[in-house]
Amino acid sequence: MTEVKVLIVDDEKEFASTLAERLILRGFAASAVHCAEDALALIHAGDIPEVILLDLKMPLMDGMEALAAIKEYDPAIEVIILTGHGSGGAVGVDAKKGAAFDCIMKPVDIKELTQKINLAAAKRRQYMEQEK
Amino acid sequence: MAHFFKRVFQYLVMDTVEAAKPLTVGRRYRHFRRTLLLIMTAVTMIPLVVTSVFSYHKYKRLLEEETVKYLSWNAESADKIIDAFVEELRSVIVFITEEYSHEELASQEKLSTLFVRLKNKHSGFVDLGYIDPNGVQRAYAGPFDFRGKKYRNMSWFKETLSRGNTVSDVFLGYRNLPHFVVSISKKVPGKEEYWVLRASVDAETLEKFILTIDTKAADDLFLVNHSGVLQTSSRYYGKIQDEYPLGVLPRKSGVSLRVEESEAVSKIEAQTYIKGTPWILVLVKHGFINKKVWSLFQAELVGIVLVSALIVFVVILRTANILGERIRKADEKRENMLSEVEHTSKLASIGRLAAGVAHEINNPLAIISEKTGLVKDLLELSDDFTHKEKISQQVEGVSSAVQRCKVITHRLLGFARRMDVSLESIDINQVLREVWGFLEKEALYRGTQLELDLDAALPLVESDRGQLQQIFLNLLNNAIDAVGQEGAITVRTRLRDSENLQVEIIDNGPGMSPDIINHIFEPFFTTKTSGEKRGTGLGLSITYGLVKKLGSEILVDSVVGKGTTFTIILPLKHTMRRRKIDD
Repeated sequence: MTEVKVLIVDDEKEFASTLAERLILRGFAASAVHCAEDALALIHAGDIPEVILLDLKMPLMDGMEALAAIKEYDPAIEVIILTGHGSGGAVGVDAKKGAAFDCIMKPVDIKELTQKINLAAAKRRQYMEQEK
Repeated sequence: MAHFFKRVFQYLVMDTVEAAKPLTVGRRYRHFRRTLLLIMTAVTMIPLVVTSVFSYHKYKRLLEEETVKYLSWNAESADKIIDAFVEELRSVIVFITEEYSHEELASQEKLSTLFVRLKNKHSGFVDLGYIDPNGVQRAYAGPFDFRGKKYRNMSWFKETLSRGNTVSDVFLGYRNLPHFVVSISKKVPGKEEYWVLRASVDAETLEKFILTIDTKAADDLFLVNHSGVLQTSSRYYGKIQDEYPLGVLPRKSGVSLRVEESEAVSKIEAQTYIKGTPWILVLVKHGFINKKVWSLFQAELVGIVLVSALIVFVVILRTANILGERIRKADEKRENMLSEVEHTSKLASIGRLAAGVAHEINNPLAIISEKTGLVKDLLELSDDFTHKEKISQQVEGVSSAVQRCKVITHRLLGFARRMDVSLESIDINQVLREVWGFLEKEALYRGTQLELDLDAALPLVESDRGQLQQIFLNLLNNAIDAVGQEGAITVRTRLRDSENLQVEIIDNGPGMSPDIINHIFEPFFTTKTSGEKRGTGLGLSITYGLVKKLGSEILVDSVVGKGTTFTIILPLKHTMRRRKIDD
């Protein structure tokens, strides 16, 4: 099984880069960008991640807008929302309406996160299999 | 009654004494009541007093007028009686002069016979005399020997000659006894000379006659002549022939009145000139008014005023009390509502603040969490080196501190976040049993006694199951912490009224002072400051937010040393109060 390609989108650079490093240590092909626009640019350029970890509150384009744009471009990209703003409840519901795979509260529990990334990646890979 | 006046006195006087002190809330209402009482009393009493004073004077005037009228009416009728008496005497003498010739009357024998007959008819006559044109008494019949007495210079004789007839003043004359004279003059036939027939009447006869017409309308009734000399005895102003000290009033037809009213004396005097006589009839009334009627009226008036005043005062006192009390209650209610609103909005703004702070802290916390996580990862991957073990321990310490912070920020955000209520029909007893099942082990471990006193007949409630669970869980957790070892907790459900049911969670823990109760619903307020279970101070504030969201109420009743009861009042039908606590 190839490494799962993960893109972290968060305006907190320290958070994003450290999390990426930890995921790399755990065998993911993780990288980080610091705004939604950069993430979209990468995707448009054809560098498509399997799972995106998306922060909700960002300065220019916020997480929900970015989610919509990503799903519009490629519905098969799985997005996990990372938020420091409220817990599962309302945000979770909103995020799922926007077709996010799941929602995790910051600060994240690394075990929970890797578990969910794996689940999301498995879902995407299964989907891609069927598409072939 | 004494109690009533004591109260009134306190009400009016003691408060005035207190007025120098600053107004407290209680005194503000007493002050209001007193002012109201005084104003209303003044408004009702002033017309009452004015009317009474007016009536007093009006009635006095009326009684006075009545007295005056009565007296003058009496004077008029007495005047007529005396007039008739004098006229009768005069007509007897006139009759004699017309029946008998002057020769017959000049005869002593004839006159004596005539006098005997006259005396039989009219006992008032004392004597009878014939006086010739020279003024010498030629014939005389009576008890004295007055034959040959000369009257030429007497005033009555002169007046009789000039006027034809006269009634004289009372005078002493030759006999030196008070009497008056009725006399008629006649022309001697064929000559320019006049003879006179005179009869004298004893003053005592006049006096007796006056006494017979004495009336209750007057205190004194007597005659004076035109020069103010008493003609009959007066009760108060002297004997016959004395000078009348008050004097006579100028002549006029009818009754003249003289009113004298001062501090010492109050009297009214009626005088009337009696026609064809030199006399004036005088009636004197002391004291203006009928004393009996007047004092009865005074007593009645004072009685009515006092009774009315008392009734008015009692009614007003009562009204002022009721009004004051109502206003006080209304104010209290309003103040309570205001303070409740204030409390709610204070909690809401604290909630907003808390959420803001939590959110701001959450991001750096996430960074710390990731950094320590990475350090841990790297430590695990690296070989042994000096202090590796020690560094691992430190990082673990940071990690667990971050974990604690995370619990706090998540709870805060949970407290503040917007929650949708999902409604369903719920058996409250069932929810409580489930929650209890969740806590049972811990309670067992601590030796806490639990009694579920659930009303099996409770109707279903329309509410949010998850949030109710959260509420009961928080409250029961608190109760378990509060009672400590060997404590007891009772959960009781009851129908409160037709629209609400209530859940009571009763513990026998240490209880809380009113100071603490005032703050328990505020975020970060906790009494669990030490020991293994340190509180975040969020449990009850979250509970409060949930309870409010469900359209419910939460009440606290606590007695230090006895325990605490939390009561949740749940409406059976949920009224959609979508209140957002966070935004």
